[in-house]
Amino acid sequence: MKRSIIAVLLIFLVATINFVIVHITPGGPQSIFVLNPHVSVAARQLMLAQFGLTKPLYVQYEIYIVGMFTGHWGISYFYNEPAFQVIAQRVPATLLLMVPSLILTILVGIVLGVLGARRPFSFVDRFLSSTAFFFYAMPAFWLGFVLLTVFVLFLHVLPASGMTSVSGGGSVPDILTHMILPVFSLTLVNLANFSLLMRSSLMEVMDQNYITTAKGKGLSERLIFFRHAMRNALLPTVTMTGLFVGFLLTGAILTESVFNWPGLGLLTFQSIEQRDYPIILSLFFIFSIMIIVANLVTDVVYGFLDPRISFD
Amino acid sequence: MTELEQTPPEPKTSGVAPKKARRSYVGEAIHFMREFGRNRGALFGLSFLVILTLAAIFANVLFPGNPNLPGNPTYQTAPSLQNPLGTDDLGRSMLMLIIYGARTSLTIAFASGSILALLGTMVGLLAGYFGGVIDGALMRTADVFLTLPTLPLILVVAALLGPSLINIMIIIGVTSWPFMARLVRSNVLSMTQREFIQIERVMGASNLRIVFRHLFPNQFSLILVYTSLSLPLVILTEAAIEFLGLAPVSISWGFLLNVSINYWLAGAWWMSFFPGFAIFMTSLSFYLVSEGLKEVLTPTLKRKRDSLVVQLAERR
Repeated sequence: MKRSIIAVLLIFLVATINFVIVHITPGGPQSIFVLNPHVSVAARQLMLAQFGLTKPLYVQYEIYIVGMFTGHWGISYFYNEPAFQVIAQRVPATLLLMVPSLILTILVGIVLGVLGARRPFSFVDRFLSSTAFFFYAMPAFWLGFVLLTVFVLFLHVLPASGMTSVSGGGSVPDILTHMILPVFSLTLVNLANFSLLMRSSLMEVMDQNYITTAKGKGLSERLIFFRHAMRNALLPTVTMTGLFVGFLLTGAILTESVFNWPGLGLLTFQSIEQRDYPIILSLFFIFSIMIIVANLVTDVVYGFLDPRISFD
Repeated sequence: MTELEQTPPEPKTSGVAPKKARRSYVGEAIHFMREFGRNRGALFGLSFLVILTLAAIFANVLFPGNPNLPGNPTYQTAPSLQNPLGTDDLGRSMLMLIIYGARTSLTIAFASGSILALLGTMVGLLAGYFGGVIDGALMRTADVFLTLPTLPLILVVAALLGPSLINIMIIIGVTSWPFMARLVRSNVLSMTQREFIQIERVMGASNLRIVFRHLFPNQFSLILVYTSLSLPLVILTEAAIEFLGLAPVSISWGFLLNVSINYWLAGAWWMSFFPGFAIFMTSLSFYLVSEGLKEVLTPTLKRKRDSLVVQLAERR
């Protein structure tokens, strides 16, 4: 309970910081109007007034904070539609990318971690670890490029960008083939963290006394590994999931830009370019909430899984 | 009077900071290099970084002429003997561009790395040593920084402040200190419980002396390992900012990649492959070096060989 109050306070604080950062830095939306020689002075004033940019900053702040918590996220300067609507249209595309990637990362990460930890420092383990380091050091957008070059430019087997084909697009198989490359590259980049974490926490657990006891009782190695060790080794992995949402968001911005995927990441990038404050601030609000809620859920699940930990 | 009070317990000496026989600094350095050299990956990473740094420093000797001007008219040629990595859309040698780009990346890596090490260490030392309200305030600040959507925020600030190396350095440094602070704090916390610190305190040492004479030197190898461990992330973040093209610094690997988007469909794969490969090799090298440093400097962690993120996950 106490933690959820802290979480709400945190959301408030982060929203304020976002507002301050965005408004304190020079070069706002006005500069885009100013730079356009076809916009007359009167028209510019009208536009500014329309978007509430002529009001003093503290009034803008009040409108912003009240709006954020009541669902009035302002009108997009660029699309001239409510920010909420613009963002809502993009959510399904991002989920289509993130959910499969998250599931794949967790499943494959656990399997690879287990494979590595079963025989520590064996050939399989060393191979998996060094591959993981490779992908850890890999820039997400460059991986996208390499995949594009190989599969699109040289092999001509997969579509290059977007979510649907221009002609006759929109069917399920069409979207699926467009999904393969982005999901694959998003997964590969994050997989390394997950499998390395799983491996090292398994190895740590296998050193503990109760595992030695279980071995002494004559239980089979397989049983010890999967029944006794796995359960405890999964705990740090759970902790990780909260952090992981942040990584996924970062990855989504880069991956969506490379593959031109019409999701939240691409929208973030475009609206920063267009100085579209209402969209930027709303997106930041959503991202912050996602991270905070993920951390909250992680804490609760962790407390549930490991009764030794208690909060408050 | 009871007997217990008559004979006060002798102060234990075993807990005092161990004074081992001190080797000379040269001997220390040789020992360090030998240990470090045993890790082949780390040696490879170090040599790559040294070569890259030298090439970046002497870039204008290796490639005379202004890199911002168009090169010879043979633009967008595939890798050949004359131009080992091909040429770009302005006829400039990719090899030259990549070496000039190394200046940008390495400068930002070292500058941001220093900022994040400095901030993280200061906050961690203060929070861990003084505890109480100071600890609470600093750690909650760190929490807020951890919940900010970092990359989007960096992008906004970079886009609004305009293209400048110094801006990018500061932004990356300022947004990436919280993990370092947490790590240093938890280490300081366990260290203040040790006897040699408590004895020092009883003997009337000032806070300043305890923090800088005892706590800081004991954290130093940890700080070094951790900073080098976060450099790959700094390199990747910088490249990402440049790649999105919101704050283009004249020649940088990320921006070279950004430019190459327009040409890869035409088949100029070398324009996107090599800058990305440079980013990848550099961040991998920093990672390998940090692994090597970790094995030598913090031997207790030697066996685990976990990644940066593993330690981040152990934040409780």
